[in-house]
Amino acid sequence: MPIRKIILFLVILMAANSQTKGQIYFTKNGSISFFSKTILQNIQADNNEVISILNLQTGSLQFSLLNAAFHFPKAKMEEDFNEDYIESNKYPRSTFKGSIANINKIDFSKDGTWQVNATGDLMIHGVTKNITTSGKIIINNGKISATSSFKILLEDYHIKIPSIVSNKISENIEITINCNYEKK
Amino acid sequence: MDRKVKRYILLSFIIIITMASLIGYQIWNKPHQDIKNAVAAKTNAVALYNSLTNDSANTKVLFINKIVAVWGEVKQVSKNQQNQQVILLKTNVRDGSVNCTMEENIKNIKAGDRVLLKGICIGYIGGDSDLQVAGDVFLIRCYRST
Repeated sequence: MPIRKIILFLVILMAANSQTKGQIYFTKNGSISFFSKTILQNIQADNNEVISILNLQTGSLQFSLLNAAFHFPKAKMEEDFNEDYIESNKYPRSTFKGSIANINKIDFSKDGTWQVNATGDLMIHGVTKNITTSGKIIINNGKISATSSFKILLEDYHIKIPSIVSNKISENIEITINCNYEKK
Repeated sequence: MDRKVKRYILLSFIIIITMASLIGYQIWNKPHQDIKNAVAAKTNAVALYNSLTNDSANTKVLFINKIVAVWGEVKQVSKNQQNQQVILLKTNVRDGSVNCTMEENIKNIKAGDRVLLKGICIGYIGGDSDLQVAGDVFLIRCYRST
């Protein structure tokens, strides 16, 4: 009977959809900070408004943030970062779209810390580069969090340092990611 | 050159250097924008969310990187990793919120309360429509307003 087939199809579709949903974890207040050691003063800024989505089934991982949300200890640093370095009016977002290798080896039902590698496209200042970085997936009482720390070269993302301060600002910056996920 | 003239030149040079250093120091140490006491354009969470998801140029000029006071119904109160209070205001999109990171925590605030929050509107980040995760509009350095 066609009506039975349709009902069966819908039930299978709904079951598949709910299974996929159960594998999606996200945060809208993840934290990404960067640090740069300089002769003048160390530069550190935090962004606590990062959207990150992790799919446990496929291993796909994404981050998206607005550059203007980076908060610096000094207002002048923040102004220079937005106007001269990252040009946040022209390039408002930074993103990462990629995946975690061998995510199916992680037992998400047990507490533990898992060393993982993520590969994907990092877009900063309108420039996209394929990167691979290591990080950790931490499972604690059923809650999933992720951390990673890696360095990028400013030159790779066409971020120019004014010549007057070029010998005082480091060519690379360290990026640290910290996200606590909740189930979709 | 006359000794007196030389002394004037040296003195002028010292004054210029001192003034330039003072101005440089003041610029380098200027305080962050005073959001708490700033005048803000008023709107509500539903209207702000709808305006920014439409992504029109007019809206960007009106709200993005501006101090905005937003009326809304509290959907959720939580803490971020810096222990700052995060208040989500309801919109007409399920799972989509106006996401406000507080500079000053509000005591005894709970879901269902109506509040006016003032902060810098930095824009909208889209979620993932395929994975059914809606995006949020973000306000940072927020205070309760009246």
